[in-house]
Amino acid sequence: MNQIPVTVLTGYLGAGKTTLLNRILTEQHGKKYAVVVNEFGEIGIDNDLVVNADEEVFEMNNGCICCTVRGDLIRILGGLMKRQGSFDGILIETTGLADPAPVAQTFFVDEEVRRRTLLDSIVTVVDARHVVQRLGDSHEALEQIAFADVVLLNKTDLVSAEELTQVEKRIRSINATAIIHHTQRCKVDLDAVLGRRSFDLERILAIEPNFLLEDDHQHDDAVKSVCLLTDRPLDGARLMGWLQRLLAERGQDFLRTKGILSIAGQDKQFVVQAVHMLMEGNFTRPWGPNEKRESRLVFIGRNTDEAELRRQFDTCIA
Amino acid sequence: MSFSTEQGTTSLLDRIGTRQTLHAYVVGLAFLEGGFLAAALGDGQVALIGSESADAARFVSAHSGACLSLAVDLGGDRVLTGGDDGRLVSTDIAGTASTIKAISGRWVEPVAVSVASGLRAAAFGKTVRLFTRDGSEVGAFDHPNTVGGLAFDPKGRRLATAHYGGASLWWAKADGQQPKRLAWSGSHLSLAWSPDGEYIVTAMQENELHGWRVADGADMRMPGYPSKVRSMTWLPRGRYLATSGAEPVVCWPFHGKSGPIGKAPLDLGWGFEGVVTVVAAHPRHDVVAAGYEDGAAILVQIDRDHPVLVKPPGEGAVTALAWSADGQHLALGTESGFVGRVRLSDWRAPT
Repeated sequence: MNQIPVTVLTGYLGAGKTTLLNRILTEQHGKKYAVVVNEFGEIGIDNDLVVNADEEVFEMNNGCICCTVRGDLIRILGGLMKRQGSFDGILIETTGLADPAPVAQTFFVDEEVRRRTLLDSIVTVVDARHVVQRLGDSHEALEQIAFADVVLLNKTDLVSAEELTQVEKRIRSINATAIIHHTQRCKVDLDAVLGRRSFDLERILAIEPNFLLEDDHQHDDAVKSVCLLTDRPLDGARLMGWLQRLLAERGQDFLRTKGILSIAGQDKQFVVQAVHMLMEGNFTRPWGPNEKRESRLVFIGRNTDEAELRRQFDTCIA
Repeated sequence: MSFSTEQGTTSLLDRIGTRQTLHAYVVGLAFLEGGFLAAALGDGQVALIGSESADAARFVSAHSGACLSLAVDLGGDRVLTGGDDGRLVSTDIAGTASTIKAISGRWVEPVAVSVASGLRAAAFGKTVRLFTRDGSEVGAFDHPNTVGGLAFDPKGRRLATAHYGGASLWWAKADGQQPKRLAWSGSHLSLAWSPDGEYIVTAMQENELHGWRVADGADMRMPGYPSKVRSMTWLPRGRYLATSGAEPVVCWPFHGKSGPIGKAPLDLGWGFEGVVTVVAAHPRHDVVAAGYEDGAAILVQIDRDHPVLVKPPGEGAVTALAWSADGQHLALGTESGFVGRVRLSDWRAPT
């Protein structure tokens, strides 16, 4: 069975999420989307594929304290599978005040959801003018940026070029791996938002590992990205042991972990991704003949001690 | 009826069955009066199929989205369906669909019917609504979370609901009451009430069942499944509860004083690959029909080793199974819209 791609749309109140959603639903792009909206949304589309959801966040009874899932989504995605063939993808809008973790974790935890859907990307709409203030007063705004695969930096017409640069830097320091698009009224080529397969993480290879060193560290957000890089092959068993221990102990602080890694004695790339404590790792495609076999590992989290993480990472070098 | 030692390559469906393609996900199946088979479909239609093998399906538009659930409605000549269009609909064998209640924006998922008390219940999101035979609403029971499963007790006087955090017991009809809460942390997705009324069992998000003895609320954990249990069925007289969710058909013993407490389940039907997706107990014998994710279906019997092949793999996962009230007809449906039926009275066990 084909896995149906799912795009999660987050963003603080007033950032422009509904504008983007309405654009996706009304523009001619030859695709049909089932849309899961929250009850407080203002979507103006009458469509039998629009589903209202209460955000029912459930704790999993599996001994993992931070493991929460969206129970309503599990049910809704299961129901939508009964209408297979009538749509090409699923969009999930979250409320402005939602923490994205339970949504993302749903795609790790529930076997049926995993088998039938593919989390394509988490898209976060950010209001360029107000985001700095939001980051100061809202824990959710920070989490939404931290979880994003794609950030739409919206309302760029309302800020100066210099302000925009500062805002982008700040987003970058929180989330080093997201692709950032500048938009006005969410005007963006929809191919930049939909069908991204962002979760395959290939673009981590393109991250400039030293960009954080260039950062002036003016803004000390609670959530930061730490990027680790080595061109020496890693010991697979030691690496997994370390990551499992680290995330078991510190998973609440680590929002997302993503890596493409070169394991000694293996021809294929090893890709890891985690949401809090939930981690999965797979060998994916072979390294190309002219590709530099570098390992890149990115942690997006709170209280991340970069030097200590680097030291521990280095002990995994084969 | 005998299910002796036969496990040949020819399925019952090939030898004594009929098949049809309905072109939409089969959500539920039920036999009705006059030998009609009703199928609730993922495209919102209810298909009515006559008892003769040449009979073509007649399609009735019951819902504008997908049907989510099906139960035989009062009278036995109609089915009750819930849909993602917020409607609870009753469709009779003449092809008339009547809406009992519609609430826009709410999904109607679990439905239940009690012949004993003449009541029908359906969950509209977090609220379970109760209707009499003529469609009057006689109760609305609110829950803190969406109701995943519901069932009447054998007399139809009480109603049990499954939701996040446990189950609730309501008196059918009496409005304005506080339910009796049976608490167990985790998300409870569906519910079954034993035919003797003594036990309630829920299937959980955490790949396990949870049971309560109704008399004293004693808890029973039934863990160990490799995947979620999507289907539960009581064998005659409630001696066993057969379930999907594993490679064998897992049957928990409920006879004896303490039910399954301290007992291991029976594993039936080993040897078939893949996970059982749906189960349906024969109405009279200790026989269970089981469908698999690869499209295969078998019959297994308690205390017998060899299953009988009903249908070989193919046509997508089996999503629905139903027996006729006399146990002589079995129907199965798959996610790709395949429907097969077997008339077991035509079948003689090989000698």
